[in-house]
Amino acid sequence: MGKNRKKVQIIVLLFAFVIGGYAIFQTFTNDTPGTIKEGQAVPDFRLANLQGEPISLQDYNGSPLVINFWGTFCEPCIREMPSFERQYEEWKDKGVEVVAINLSEDTLTVSNYVKKLGVTYTILRDVDRKTEKKYGLRSYPTTFFVNPNGTLSSVFVGEMKESQIHEHIEKIVGG
Amino acid sequence: MLLPVNSKCECGHQNAVGTVLCEACGKPLEEQLMKSNEPLEMRYDGVARRSQKANPDFLDKIWNFFSSVKIAIYLIIITFLGAMLGTIFPQASTFISATFNPKVYYSEQYGLAGEIYYFLGLHNTYSSWWFITLLVMIGTSLVICSIDRVLPLYRALNKQQIRKHHAFLKRQKATYSGQVTDEPVQWTKQYGEALKKKGYKVHIDESGTALLAEKNRFSRWGPYINHIGLILFLLAVLARSIPDWNVDTYVSITDGDTVPIVGTNYYVKSDGFSMELYDNDELPIELKDSGRVKTFKTDVVLYECAANCGDDFLQPELQEVKQHTILVNDPLRYKELKLHQFDFNLTPRINAVSPMIINKETGESYGPFHLTMVDPELYYEVGPYSMELIDKYMDFSINSEGEPITLSSSPNAPAFIFNIKGPNLAEDGEMFMYFPLEKDKVRFSQDTINRELANKLEIKVDGMENVDFSAATTYLNVRIDKAVKFLWIGAFFSMLGLIMGTYWQHRRIWLRIDDNQLTLGAHTNKNWFGLRADAAYALKRCGIELDPKSLDNGGHKG
Repeated sequence: MGKNRKKVQIIVLLFAFVIGGYAIFQTFTNDTPGTIKEGQAVPDFRLANLQGEPISLQDYNGSPLVINFWGTFCEPCIREMPSFERQYEEWKDKGVEVVAINLSEDTLTVSNYVKKLGVTYTILRDVDRKTEKKYGLRSYPTTFFVNPNGTLSSVFVGEMKESQIHEHIEKIVGG
Repeated sequence: MLLPVNSKCECGHQNAVGTVLCEACGKPLEEQLMKSNEPLEMRYDGVARRSQKANPDFLDKIWNFFSSVKIAIYLIIITFLGAMLGTIFPQASTFISATFNPKVYYSEQYGLAGEIYYFLGLHNTYSSWWFITLLVMIGTSLVICSIDRVLPLYRALNKQQIRKHHAFLKRQKATYSGQVTDEPVQWTKQYGEALKKKGYKVHIDESGTALLAEKNRFSRWGPYINHIGLILFLLAVLARSIPDWNVDTYVSITDGDTVPIVGTNYYVKSDGFSMELYDNDELPIELKDSGRVKTFKTDVVLYECAANCGDDFLQPELQEVKQHTILVNDPLRYKELKLHQFDFNLTPRINAVSPMIINKETGESYGPFHLTMVDPELYYEVGPYSMELIDKYMDFSINSEGEPITLSSSPNAPAFIFNIKGPNLAEDGEMFMYFPLEKDKVRFSQDTINRELANKLEIKVDGMENVDFSAATTYLNVRIDKAVKFLWIGAFFSMLGLIMGTYWQHRRIWLRIDDNQLTLGAHTNKNWFGLRADAAYALKRCGIELDPKSLDNGGHKG
């Protein structure tokens, strides 16, 4: 009886600790659902590039990665693209990749704009706004800086100056 | 409470530490209690709570903390007070706008009080760490309080000694002493028979002169079944924080579109939103012409993705699983998914046009050709003309630098730029800008942009039948709540326990006859009136007639 009691005590308290602990822990992590925290892995994607070939997040395993969301209807997105292009030229020898995911616009619109802007980094095409929602976007442009191991280093919401892009890339190259 | 060091009773039974009434004969074990003449406290039949120990260790101390009913009541009161704080201002979770910023909202709306409210985190009271901690503590307390009491009580009730101590019998709240003239064994048997008729289970000891009659013992388990229900309920509430167990999002679908429900494997298509108003003859006079809404409805088709689901490069393979007309309070239900009508927007959206090309010089018209707003064809052959689509804008405008831009990705003001080759046109083709919507033609002066080409040809939609548009956009609330069935199961057990404990009472009558001296004691948890009536009824059957009220020993409540 005495031994049994100790066992029951330990089991019940352990259950309370594990289940309760999990529930309490959740309150610290779940406050803003849908957004990715620094240090977390960024959501996976597999999207078409302008040539119609599939490109997925895994293709960039091991490379510092910049994921920029843009649309032709978003003036600040268009304004910052030349800065990204220059930064891409500066950093690409160090393995930095820049991926600009278009906000579910159609082929003609996207390809005309890319031609006009003359960017050489990868342009991907979101479908039905799915990737955008997975990344929890609230406004455009939004840029994610991803460490080589696929975890988020930082997010920048709004138009970026070239110096800001430089600083953020430095961090993912260093880390 | 004084804990007697030597817990062995004079009847020879060894009781656990903390026992108030001997588990076997019912004799009060404390000196002081024995001397008093007050009716006995019969809670848990006087047995020790499971955790009562002479030398508690660290684990015992935690256990004892949660085992205390007093602590449980404090926890419940604190939780109530905490829950009240969450009702002062609206909770942040009730705002669904993506741009909602609680930091700004509370201070702007409620001033300093709102700022403090936000600072203290009360905008998320019910998912705050301290509120969940309180719930977890109440849950732990429920489990431990129950274990500590139900097991000893079960043991005590499962092996009850029939012959009880005189002190135990005489100090029940319903008791009787008197002389028995009949043969004691015969009398006891007769008394038992009478109680059997009242539905009692009767036990008589081997001497034949001590009796225990018992009825509705199961009602004692009511509170514990109620607790099991509450624990399930609490666990179900906590389970909502498991990813995917609780989805509460919104989708907007323009008529005819199929959109993914992000976070699930479902796609939903709207076959059209419609709103119906009451006819004037259905309305009372005061409300005539007030445009009262009769129904909001959306015809939807639900699809489940069968292949290429997580992959946005390949087309997903969709399988239709359900069709439903969603009305307010009549959501689409499929497995755990529910789609509720939430909002609507009656702004039409143009999807495609089928215009004609008119040669203004000859008056001949050719076509129509089909031009979609999203992903249009790039080449068109219409009569003698060949057209290449060079560029397009969904929401045409001119920016501050005088360049054409699009303001959004919705076809609010679509514009198309064609290079047209054909009779009487330059060999390399001539640029023609086309606005499908009449209002944009005027607003952006299409004819001025196209200059002399505007005199040569025209692209024109002939009648509304050549315009494909969606009349409305419906907004649906997507709900998945996997915990809800456990909430119901918990509520069921909780109710079952309450009913068991409320509508039935555990009644016990003990008696012993020593040399024709009858001593009777009876106990119940409530409805003493009924218990006394039962005891008096059986006494009457054995020749002792008395007013049931005279059995009352005082001290009870009811």
